[in-house]
Amino acid sequence: MNLALKDAAHTPMRFVLTAFGVALLMTAVIGMTGLYRGVVGDALLVIERIDADLWVVQGERAGPFAEGSAVAPDMDRRVAGVPGVADVRRFTQFSQQFAFEGATRRATITGADIPADDGRWLALAAGRWLAAGRCEAVADESTGLAVSDWVELARDVYEIVGSTRHMVDSAGDGLLFVGINDATAIAQKRTSEAIYLARAARGTGEFAGAGSSVAQESKIAAVLVRLAPAADAANVIATIERWGDVRVLTTQQQRDLMLNARLWKLRLQILAFTGLILLITAIVVSLIVYTMTLEKLYEIALLKLIGARESVVATMIGQQAGLIGLIGLAGFLLSIGAAELVFPLFPRRVVILAGDLALLGLALLGLALALICAAAAWIGIARASRVNAREVLA
Amino acid sequence: MSPPVILSARGLARHYAGPAGLVRALDGISLDIQAGELVGIFGPSGSGKSTFLMLAGLLETPSAGEVWLAGERVSQPGTDLDRLREVRRQKIGFVFQKANLIPFLTAAENVALSLELVDVAPAPVLAHGCRLLAALDLSHRADSLPARLSGGEQQRVAVARALANSPPLILADEPTAALDSVRGRQVMQLFRRIAASRGTAVAVVTHDTRSADLFDRRVHLEDGRLATRRQE
Ligand SMILES: Nc1ncnc2c1ncn2[C@@H]1O[C@H](COP(=O)(O)OP(=O)(O)OP(=O)(O)O)[C@@H](O)[C@H]1O
Ligand SMILES: [Mg+2]
Repeated sequence: MNLALKDAAHTPMRFVLTAFGVALLMTAVIGMTGLYRGVVGDALLVIERIDADLWVVQGERAGPFAEGSAVAPDMDRRVAGVPGVADVRRFTQFSQQFAFEGATRRATITGADIPADDGRWLALAAGRWLAAGRCEAVADESTGLAVSDWVELARDVYEIVGSTRHMVDSAGDGLLFVGINDATAIAQKRTSEAIYLARAARGTGEFAGAGSSVAQESKIAAVLVRLAPAADAANVIATIERWGDVRVLTTQQQRDLMLNARLWKLRLQILAFTGLILLITAIVVSLIVYTMTLEKLYEIALLKLIGARESVVATMIGQQAGLIGLIGLAGFLLSIGAAELVFPLFPRRVVILAGDLALLGLALLGLALALICAAAAWIGIARASRVNAREVLA
Repeated sequence: MSPPVILSARGLARHYAGPAGLVRALDGISLDIQAGELVGIFGPSGSGKSTFLMLAGLLETPSAGEVWLAGERVSQPGTDLDRLREVRRQKIGFVFQKANLIPFLTAAENVALSLELVDVAPAPVLAHGCRLLAALDLSHRADSLPARLSGGEQQRVAVARALANSPPLILADEPTAALDSVRGRQVMQLFRRIAASRGTAVAVVTHDTRSADLFDRRVHLEDGRLATRRQE
């Protein structure tokens, strides 16, 4: 006779509710780890996908993500001349708000060097990549723009010709790809009043940017370098940095900067919360195991009094442990289902990795097993033997 | 030839350390119960009746004296009761004032459980449990949980559980206290029948003098000692 199962069948609601409680906690853990994975993944998206070996950025700065960066728009031609450089692309990225369908939206404008950048590092969900023409854009779905939408940016109307999925920046804003010249134009946008003031200040009738060889606004953020197969990266870096006005970062450095400089506090916070939820889960699971075993004290003592063997008592405790394990498993499976169902609706990407789930499952299993063994040993063997016969029977 | 002695208490004493000094709950009791004998244990509250059953049932160790079961000494001061589970399982059936049924098992399962403890195979166990319940007029309640049974029905299930593995000794502590007089007498008659038909030695603690006529022998406890002993 499986006493634990009979008990469960007697009060099924309790077990279902317990499983749901465990499921909710697990869902929260999956969500927190997934959020962490998502934030890190999003932040590294462009750095890892854009297929660059080196990033030429403003001198003495860790741009363009960890710090601001501006280099001359013709920097690409200078870099292209360095031996060992296979090809170069200009890159710029900035946040932009725009009106669409009566609402204010956000996007991160990303300038792509057309035609040097053929967009093959991007998986398009629909439409096509930017052609050489102006005023075209490829928008991520999260911006709310779809193929063949029209959107006004800096007094020009752009047509959305393609769309991507899950292409966002480190803050979660969807990317909006435009040609790099278009991007510069959008960044330069100012009110007519500002233009007049700039002209007056310079005392000329010319456009403000003409005052210096490179107007501040027309600068680009970085030049992306792909190295020739035989090139020595260190040599190329040394050559370029000798110019004095730029700094060269490798992709690995960009990744480190993003994770350990830009996202450090956010990561710490998410990890702290994940730890907190894991702790709460551990406490709640311990409580469940503890009370469920304690509840069995009466039955265990009664069994011992009417003469049950140790093996019978141990079997009963084992069944109870199996039942708790089953509750944990049910809760875990429920939580995976809930996570798959709920988290796609969240504003930030929540990445659910099989490896994380396996780890979580193992942790849960280990925790439950350790607790069950401890509680069972203590309650079943030690406490039940010390129970006063009269307390149980009278 | 008189029937064999099943339970033999020899100079049994049990002392508790109370707040107001030593409590002599039991103070040197010697009592033999034979097979097939139904003995009623009477006495005022606090006279040591339950304590006697606890010692005789190997649920507590005596402070002095010995308990013999079927000619074998099983308990004396310092005995490890946990080791006597085997003896309890095979030789003693308990019925307590409270039925002490396992709440999530049906009546039949509660009876079957004590059979399973003595290694009867699972299949015949339930059938046997149901047969026992039928013998106690409870077949219609076999599949009910204890909470759905009346106090008397619960008590009869507890009796069935005590009988299940046919122990040579049954100890009952006020089994009829929670029952009306009709039900109470029925339970007592049941013990009478078991003693007669199975040759079981039965000791019943009770306050209920209305069933006094059913006992083979009545003993009276007073302050932990045997008072008068009357032979019927
Ligand atoms: N664990 C204990 N510690 C201290 N004193 C105890 C303990 N158990 C019983 N006693 C005392 O032993 C005495 C006998 O108790 P017992 O339960 O045997 O009485 P009883 O005859 O069964 O009474 P009742 O008819 O009320 O059930 C009582 O005075 C009681 O207070
Ligand atoms: Mg009593």
